[in-house]
Amino acid sequence: MAFPLPRGITASEIAFLAEMETVTIVPRQRLEGLELLGGPVEPLIPPRRAALPLWLALLLKRQRRANIMPPPWLHPDSLSLILEVESQHQDYKSAFSPPPPLPGQPSIRDQGLEPTARPQYTLDGNRYYAAPPFLPQNTAQTVVSSRDPPALPYHWVEVGNMLLDVASDDLVDPDQIRRLLKDLREVRMAKMRSGIDVLDDAAIGGGGVALTGVGSMELGEERGFLAGVVDGLRKIGASKEQARREQLAEQRANGGYDGTQDEEEEDYMEF
Amino acid sequence: MDIDDILASVDRGPGASPESAALDHQQLTRFWVAERAVSEVLPWPAPLMERVMDRVRIQIETIEDLAASSADTITNTTHNPNLNLRLSILQTDLARTQYIIRSLLRARLAKLTKYSMHYLVQLASRNKNPLSTASQSQSQSQSSSANPNTTPEDSVPDISALVDTAPLSGPETSFVHAHQTLLAGHYGGSFLGAFPRQLRRLDDNAGGTSMVQGPETKEVVFVRCLGAEVPVLVDGEEGVEEVGVVMRMGDVWVVRWEGVRRAWERGEVELL
Repeated sequence: MAFPLPRGITASEIAFLAEMETVTIVPRQRLEGLELLGGPVEPLIPPRRAALPLWLALLLKRQRRANIMPPPWLHPDSLSLILEVESQHQDYKSAFSPPPPLPGQPSIRDQGLEPTARPQYTLDGNRYYAAPPFLPQNTAQTVVSSRDPPALPYHWVEVGNMLLDVASDDLVDPDQIRRLLKDLREVRMAKMRSGIDVLDDAAIGGGGVALTGVGSMELGEERGFLAGVVDGLRKIGASKEQARREQLAEQRANGGYDGTQDEEEEDYMEF
Repeated sequence: MDIDDILASVDRGPGASPESAALDHQQLTRFWVAERAVSEVLPWPAPLMERVMDRVRIQIETIEDLAASSADTITNTTHNPNLNLRLSILQTDLARTQYIIRSLLRARLAKLTKYSMHYLVQLASRNKNPLSTASQSQSQSQSSSANPNTTPEDSVPDISALVDTAPLSGPETSFVHAHQTLLAGHYGGSFLGAFPRQLRRLDDNAGGTSMVQGPETKEVVFVRCLGAEVPVLVDGEEGVEEVGVVMRMGDVWVVRWEGVRRAWERGEVELL
């Protein structure tokens, strides 16, 4: 058996990924810059802030060589605001609160704007769009931009829990944060479960179910179940889908397209 | 192509800069997650893996040098108090990268052993010219009827003359061939040898149903849309492609893998 793990990354691997998030620290001692395989690390000169991968920040924190600046969303005020949106707001009754925007994506306030993806280029010349965990979504901001409402980053469960475990003395009111994180998790888990009704749409070719705003760990928890349900539905509906495809092909061959098939394409909905 | 594209293409130097290490690391991580998420073997990113392996090799040398120098200065610990810290950071970083590489390779091997016949047939059929295909199928029908000593090994496609091994890497290709040959020999020795000659093949497709199982590309995957707008294709195969739902930037969707595979190849979606 070359590899015993199931398809899709497991919980510990998700935590491993979350440790690649960048956080801000205030070093307590000097350390020269290092060339790591994950990229260069800037020299640490107290009391100048530095942005490091979370695993390195935790390593330094455990040895009392640095303090971690908590990310702006990991604060009782931000978390209660997000919790309020998740549980009270009409628009998000059955959807997750919006995630932090990707680079080039307009923030929630200016919905009208078109997103413009900003690719980087890899050494092979391909386009590369950065995404979590390689976006500065957990760094402390020097200027608090009041425009952007606080949002839960993709790895919020893992980063939140790791910081609570190791660096609770750097957080504001860690007990309150712990409570809020738990509440958020329960609210969102209930939404995930209530969304199962629309899973049928993902079982059709070209269809899909939106989970925008979901966290990595939440996805990991539900991955096996969701994929299993959709797979089962697909197998049940396979003959129907085949028949529909043949019918469509026939119509295309006859040149007559009466438009009656349109509703089928449109019956997805976001939840 | 706008000005940013041109600037970016100029910035793309020979590739030894530390920033390129960060970018390669991000690509490697993303590829590892993707490989873990789908049922088929993804195209082997040879240039990326070569660069990563080179860096790992260099990093191991750096760590060894540092460790040696720390042993030299054991009497003089005040010389560099951070040496041990630096060493442990470098080693942690190395171990993390090695973990990703190992997990990636093992996930691929697991898929290859599961669908070994499928990939061999796929490789053999793509790398063959029409003439030899005809003679091959002829020899197949001959061997199953004329040759009295048909063994299951005969149904393992010959891939010795292969040039293009995509989506596998070279070593993976030879591994999968050796694996399937051993497996066929074992089947032959344990039970297939007792069967009638025409039932001994491992790639039988009598009755229109192929007995070679391949990965299921209709299974759903979780993706994040990174391009401005990415449509989900109804049928990822050849021919007219219908368009299903359209994902917008930043969205996370549950969709069929075959519907977003093209977009993934272009880097416009990320597997989660």
